[in-house]
Amino acid sequence: MTERMKCALFSIGDYLAGGLTGALAAASVRVCVPADTDMVLAMLLGMAVGMAVHFLLLVLLAPVLGSFHVMVPGGLIGMYGGMLFAMRDTMQHPPSPLGQALGVGVVFGIVVVASVHLYDWALKASPTSGAVV
Amino acid sequence: MQRTLQAKWDRNSRIYDLMTWGEERRFAAAKRRLCGHMRGRCLMVAAGTGNDFAYFPPWLTVVAIDISPQMAARARAKAMSYAGSLVVQVMDAQALAFPDAAFDTAVTICTLCSIPDPLRALRELYRCLKPGGQLLMFEHVRSRIGPLALLQDVMTPITRRFGPEMNRDTVATVLRAGFELCWEEPVYVDIVKAIGARRPARDGR
Repeated sequence: MTERMKCALFSIGDYLAGGLTGALAAASVRVCVPADTDMVLAMLLGMAVGMAVHFLLLVLLAPVLGSFHVMVPGGLIGMYGGMLFAMRDTMQHPPSPLGQALGVGVVFGIVVVASVHLYDWALKASPTSGAVV
Repeated sequence: MQRTLQAKWDRNSRIYDLMTWGEERRFAAAKRRLCGHMRGRCLMVAAGTGNDFAYFPPWLTVVAIDISPQMAARARAKAMSYAGSLVVQVMDAQALAFPDAAFDTAVTICTLCSIPDPLRALRELYRCLKPGGQLLMFEHVRSRIGPLALLQDVMTPITRRFGPEMNRDTVATVLRAGFELCWEEPVYVDIVKAIGARRPARDGR
């Protein structure tokens, strides 16, 4: 397998993992955080639930994709996504359908993975990368 | 403390290669580039199960240490296939049993995240390196980006129970130990870095 193909496969894995983390975080928040919870408490609970989902997926996916490549986007999705999903769920009356919530979770996950890839690429392309300091 | 640490890494040695399968493949090129700078008599700190021996240039004289006897046993098996001299010893990086100025190069790969007192370990490395000797590091550090750094801070109390700390400012610790920073290269975002430092030719400490 060429280096290029290996990179492509790992990238696809990153996006699949991000989408999965987002969907599972959104579903878990929907199940674990009651819709009538105070929004601030719901956001804190959502963060905890999102992080728990992230840790579970980290153990499962890190051997294949690498711990850092799962942990950085997965942690952002779990922590910040969990807060956002909980905020959304307590603000919307009636709540959005579960399918729509999962779809938003997937999109959020993919956007976070893309942002991390972009940031990584920008850092490596920076003229100061590897510079003598 | 040492026994707890040994027990933790002895336990981890059983699943270490499985858990790092993906990471090894993704970071192989960066590690090979870093290890390409190795020269002279080399010391590798925290060899783990010896996965990184594959990146060493051939025909060097290397002493690799690890605090875990189980990790060292696995590393010895991989050291057999190295085309050079590679000896694996069980040793605490915070109390190196080597004379002063014994090595030209010291290498750490995902090491300083796991040592209880990284400054003490770096001072030991400083002592064991010859003046002008180089320190090559492949380490993960605390991000400079607020939301990422917060995430690392939140995760560290959990990750330190079974493995490394996520939020150490390793570059600052390297400088505090007396090393001169030569270069710093991002490997994955601003968290995983390849770092080159050296013990000054004239001791400024």
